[in-house]
Amino acid sequence: MIEIKNAKKSFGKNEILHDVSIQVNKGDVIVILGPSGSGKTTLLRCINFLEKADAGTLTIGEQTVDLKKASSKEILEIRRKTAFVFQNYSLFHNKTALENVMEGLITARHVPYADAKKKAEDTLAWVGLLAKKDAYPCQLSGGQQQRVGIARAVVLDPEVILFDEPTSALDPELVGETLAVIKSVAERGITMIVVTHEMSFAQDVASKVVFMDGGFIVEEGTPAEIFRHPKEERTKQFLARIISAENMYYI
Amino acid sequence: MGFNFIYFYDSVRSGIEYLPNTFELTFIPILVGLCLGILIAVIRVYRIPFFAPLLAVLITLYQGIPLVVALMIYHLLFMAAFNNFAAVLHLSISMADINTIWIGIFALSLHATCYMEESIKGAFFSVDQGQYEAGYSVGLTRLQTLRRIIIPQVIPVALPMLTNNIVGTIKGSSIVMVIGITEVLAGSVIPASKTYAFFEGYIAAALIYWIFTILVEKFAMRIEKRGDKYRRNLV
Repeated sequence: MIEIKNAKKSFGKNEILHDVSIQVNKGDVIVILGPSGSGKTTLLRCINFLEKADAGTLTIGEQTVDLKKASSKEILEIRRKTAFVFQNYSLFHNKTALENVMEGLITARHVPYADAKKKAEDTLAWVGLLAKKDAYPCQLSGGQQQRVGIARAVVLDPEVILFDEPTSALDPELVGETLAVIKSVAERGITMIVVTHEMSFAQDVASKVVFMDGGFIVEEGTPAEIFRHPKEERTKQFLARIISAENMYYI
Repeated sequence: MGFNFIYFYDSVRSGIEYLPNTFELTFIPILVGLCLGILIAVIRVYRIPFFAPLLAVLITLYQGIPLVVALMIYHLLFMAAFNNFAAVLHLSISMADINTIWIGIFALSLHATCYMEESIKGAFFSVDQGQYEAGYSVGLTRLQTLRRIIIPQVIPVALPMLTNNIVGTIKGSSIVMVIGITEVLAGSVIPASKTYAFFEGYIAAALIYWIFTILVEKFAMRIEKRGDKYRRNLV
């Protein structure tokens, strides 16, 4: 189980997170929705300590750490229980696809080389990119890079994978293949927290949808509750705009 | 003005005789510059409190001093203060025991450190912040990320600039002539003190420096090609 309690974060005078708490059960897929600047990405980055929150606690499994005062040892432990998929992929430019997937296993977890290679190859095959294992990131398309990014996260068997707008840098044709892979991550029963603007993905895959705005959690519930019967006025406004925009494609 | 090939040949031979001094005056500063340059660049890139701003100020100030001026100042300081300094430390060496080439090496090392630090720092900034975050996200420590992800990406960017710094240091080493150190330039014009064939002497020095720097550049280009395999053509 993963629990974030009373997370607060501001950049200068600009308060991004006001007292945010989320609870995630094992195997859950949490989708966080919200307009730009609502603090979704910051929340995700605070969980992985890519950003240091100003207050709050984080519990992953048995371990509870203070989001502000965590020691570097605790931060490393948390990071080794989590994995992150970046909006702009952030593959290691100096490593091949296979080396990208192996890096965390070998250097951070000290898995023997042969085992790490086997596991990395299996994971690459699972995202459908075994043929590209010796390609450098600059030789891969955006969608392929993001699938390697997902393989790099999944191979670590983390307790939770954090997805930060994994498809928003992709062109529309490549979004599908990437979402399919993310969906199969969910089917593996891996706990995920996903920040996305893909509404249909949220509807299909999420076990819980969280709507954030202005650094607050406005509303949370099952996809059916949020999309069909939103309670808060702000949620209705946001969804009305997004969904009418999505329907435009079908006209 | 005539050109006497015999005098020219004498000058080349005399210059080559002092090539080891030029090697000392370039390779030691290059090595010191690389080590200190990397260290200072890392301190500044990671914004280590206290040291980063201090070093930034020192380097900016030091880069404003011409090499000749620095050399003169160190030489004078050395001559004025070394014996007293040795006495304070109860060292039984005097000024005469120290080869002045070390003053040249010292001054060139400081200059090489400043220039190389700037090149390396620039190369660090060319690596996207996301590369650090990706390293941390798969559970690497800061040091592991630096060693396995960042430095391998910094080197190919820094190499062309460092080659420039190295060639600059080779050519800069000729300036130590002003404090009486004999290296390739001073060595090449030694025969001219008898024959007055200064023109041949300077041409000889130019030729030796030219060959030396060409060799260094060729070598650097080879290394650059090796590190380039993963880089986009357009970066």
